[in-house]
Amino acid sequence: MNDARLERTIGLVLGAGAIISFCLLAIGIAGMGVTHVGPLDRPFPPFDLNRLGSDLVALNPAGFLWLGLLAVILTPSVRVLASLLGFAAAGERRMVAVAAIVLAAICLSAALGAGG
Amino acid sequence: MSGGVAAGAFGALLGLGGGVLIVPLLTLGFGLPFREAVGASLVCVIVTSSAAASVYLQRDVANLRLGMTLEMFTAIAALAGGLIAFMLPDRVLAIMFAALLLYVALTMVRARDAREARGVSEGRAAAGGALAPEDGPVVGDDGDRETATAEPAIDGGLAASLSGPGYRIHNLGRGVLGSLLAGIVSALFGVGGGIVKVPVMNLIMGVPMRVATATSNLMIGVTASAGGLIYLFRGGIDPYVAAPTAVGVFVGASLASRLADRVDLPVLRLLFIAVLVVTAAQMALRGIG
Repeated sequence: MNDARLERTIGLVLGAGAIISFCLLAIGIAGMGVTHVGPLDRPFPPFDLNRLGSDLVALNPAGFLWLGLLAVILTPSVRVLASLLGFAAAGERRMVAVAAIVLAAICLSAALGAGG
Repeated sequence: MSGGVAAGAFGALLGLGGGVLIVPLLTLGFGLPFREAVGASLVCVIVTSSAAASVYLQRDVANLRLGMTLEMFTAIAALAGGLIAFMLPDRVLAIMFAALLLYVALTMVRARDAREARGVSEGRAAAGGALAPEDGPVVGDDGDRETATAEPAIDGGLAASLSGPGYRIHNLGRGVLGSLLAGIVSALFGVGGGIVKVPVMNLIMGVPMRVATATSNLMIGVTASAGGLIYLFRGGIDPYVAAPTAVGVFVGASLASRLADRVDLPVLRLLFIAVLVVTAAQMALRGIG
């Protein structure tokens, strides 16, 4: 895969991530309106991966909000993964290593965040 | 959400990241704790970065290799910054943020002076500003330091491999230091860090302004993501606040692209500098207690 094609592919990944995130957040916000939840209502629902599925099935707005926020935060990671695969296909070991280190830093953030 | 629309529109028109506007809006305007405001701001920064970087990459403006190389350091620094943010008291963060606001105001004044000295039209910078959250007000659109013909490439083969058409990267080591600083600033204050990255790439590394802006946008997503994950898992993101603000910022930044030609940007910029100074004072007062 040449550079221009890789960059366009990654651009599409980012664009798709932004649109998917936007749609999920918009659904969640609409749900907040329907269920009369205000932005400053307390306490806010905690982030819990184990509850995400059941919240979505129950059409709980918090489920869509958290899924949308996850999509927002993980979109750049998907971009890095796509870059890693593209550089690997092109045999560019140095850039593969760079992408792997970036991914490792992101994973470490998640681990330290969850561990704290 | 309307606050987010305003922040997104102002930020895009003025070439600033949302964080500089969103954090004061949420803390001073809505009384949110500083860390929750930073968490929401990081989400907004990622949304606008993804949308802008998508366009820049498809137009072949951003330098993917340079961006990924530098974001190794911004991501690691953002990780550290996110951890530090949860150790510092809100008051200390507020005072540090006030200093950041003053720095942004000062750089905008300097950029304005530089533009006036060159007699540059203001409209051009704005036209490309929408959905480009970190255009970096430090140097204007015409502040390019063009190719690095005057200095040898001291970083050897790596720098050469990161260079692009018409320019050659140099001072990679200083670029790495700038990236580390940008990562910490991003995670501590919920900003993209373009205020550091763009001038470092443009003035120190010899990257043309347009490419530096686009590459900074690309890097911001990963930087804010590394910090954002710590906020997410440590309860620093309120979905009821972050989601409407992020959608508002996205809509506001999109609208700004249609308004850019109709707005008197010099007046808006002066007004914004005044708002930044007043906000910095309020933030400092909040910090002092």
